Amino acid sequence: MKTPAKPEIEEGGDAMTRRRLLSWLSGFGLFGSLIITVLSNLIFIKPRATYGQPNRFSIGKPEDFPSGARVSLDARRVCIVRDGDKIAAISTTCTHLGCIVAVSETGFSCPCHGSRYDQDGNVTGGPAPRALPWYRVSLAPNGDIEVDKDTEIEAGNYLRV
Amino acid sequence: MSSPTKTRNPLIALPENIWRSIFRNPLPSSDLGRASTSFTNFFLHLHPVKVHRNSLRATFTLGLGLISFFLFMILVVTGILLMFYYVPSTTQAYDRMLDLRGTVAFGIFLRNMHRWAAHGMVAVVFLHMCRVFLTGSYKPPREFNWVLGVLLLLITLFLSFTGYLLPWDQLAFWAITVGTSIASYAPIAGKEIKFLLLGDSTVGQEALLRFYVLHVAVLPAVLSLLVAIHFWRIRKDGGLSRREEEDALPADVPAPAQVEFVQGPAVVMATSPAAAAAAQPVLQKRHYGIQGLVRGPFTKVGNVPDRSVFAWPNLFMAELVVFLITVAGVLLVSLFFNAPLEEPVNVMHPPNPAKAPWYFLGLQEQVSYSAFWGGVGIPTIEVLLLLLVPYLDRKVAGVGRWFARERLLANSLFLTFVVVNVVLIIIGTFFRGPNWEFVSPW
Repeated sequence: MKTPAKPEIEEGGDAMTRRRLLSWLSGFGLFGSLIITVLSNLIFIKPRATYGQPNRFSIGKPEDFPSGARVSLDARRVCIVRDGDKIAAISTTCTHLGCIVAVSETGFSCPCHGSRYDQDGNVTGGPAPRALPWYRVSLAPNGDIEVDKDTEIEAGNYLRV
Repeated sequence: MSSPTKTRNPLIALPENIWRSIFRNPLPSSDLGRASTSFTNFFLHLHPVKVHRNSLRATFTLGLGLISFFLFMILVVTGILLMFYYVPSTTQAYDRMLDLRGTVAFGIFLRNMHRWAAHGMVAVVFLHMCRVFLTGSYKPPREFNWVLGVLLLLITLFLSFTGYLLPWDQLAFWAITVGTSIASYAPIAGKEIKFLLLGDSTVGQEALLRFYVLHVAVLPAVLSLLVAIHFWRIRKDGGLSRREEEDALPADVPAPAQVEFVQGPAVVMATSPAAAAAAQPVLQKRHYGIQGLVRGPFTKVGNVPDRSVFAWPNLFMAELVVFLITVAGVLLVSLFFNAPLEEPVNVMHPPNPAKAPWYFLGLQEQVSYSAFWGGVGIPTIEVLLLLLVPYLDRKVAGVGRWFARERLLANSLFLTFVVVNVVLIIIGTFFRGPNWEFVSPW
């Protein structure tokens, strides 16, 4: 099919005719709508609420953890460390590929790819790229210890109880 | 059209009329009939009326593309059947797997077929890519179809990966935990990608639901669309690749004047069988030029006929044979080997070692050296290089032959890539034990 002869449009003319302006605007509008559609779909599939385990949870009274205790709560994926009157929560999710590290004599060790960490979660061997993060621990008004896995704090920051 | 049947009782003629309304042509006995049959049947019209002899040579294609497609069809059929009994819930999924074993009729067999066809598809799609590369078939005008093929390989892998989680056993859970953690190493958006995939911070109910939707709806739809374009491009790019000299006309076949093709009657003929009859004078002169009516830059109007044969029955028989071999293979393997099912998910106790499916073990082996480079950096570079292959290698020599001498460098580089990945997979599969330490399989 031959394209019909275009009237009124100068070939190669750079002047902004009404037709060209409208084409540009419609093209811009269509493209913009496409981008908005893609973005809203991305927003849609990113959940606002998760239905799994909450990231803030209470783990019981300080008395439940005697001094020197290193209690790994595998379901919560944290290890509660008590040293005198100091208490902290160290992640037990391996920073390599997300397996659960086990508490060992020297600290932590990962069963999946052999990463090893010291007592404070610093990497001592294996493919792990980063130290195990520490999470903020606080005392709730009712005296329970609360762990907040959304807030990472610097290693060595203990809560005094 | 209805004049021959008008005198007969419509009731008596009913079966014949219905049959004729569905199948416009009787079984073909002439070349015109063979051409019309290919045109007027929905499934057959995807094929060219005539196909080059080289495309039918089993030693050239090894039938790998067809096998991939037929495996996909087996996967769609068995997958839909399995959906009748599957619930994507962390509390029910594993029980449903046990039900497939215990109570559902043919349940274990269907699951075997689905699992083995999926493994087979990953392998065959990869081999198909090797065939296309080693015969230089990605050269112009087929560059974009190669790109589509690489995308199809990636979607195949992703389909397989999403299906891996659904049984909700230990193998599934830890493979997906490791696999999605690899995604989180991607720069900038890595954590976001992982969160979007899992719908949560860890693998759980949300992840199972998301992987299910991706596996049964999103990815098959995308794959089907791309397969359709992939097939369509084969036609539009002038059929399968072949040596240039194979197109040369033998001296005893007079090259027909092209003018005759582009004239009116022939064009009409392509659209309706009624008009085809009217166009018969033209056809008798050169009835094999029908596909030449598509006038693109790549369709070889004058050269195609002499070395080509009618798709009916040559191509269709070949496809039927490949189909039967594929189905027979899957059935046989499914009879003798059961798809693995491990213990139900135990979030506390990762198996040691926790291994991904075999086709990702090369990746996992790389990851054990460096999570970013092994899991993200090198794979991204590899995929980009694969996508760009036809745009980087612009030499036109050596198309349509296995291991063409002119392509020694390209083929060597590609084979190195293949061998390195296969070796990594072998190491990851057989030589890695607890804590990913080196073990000997003997």
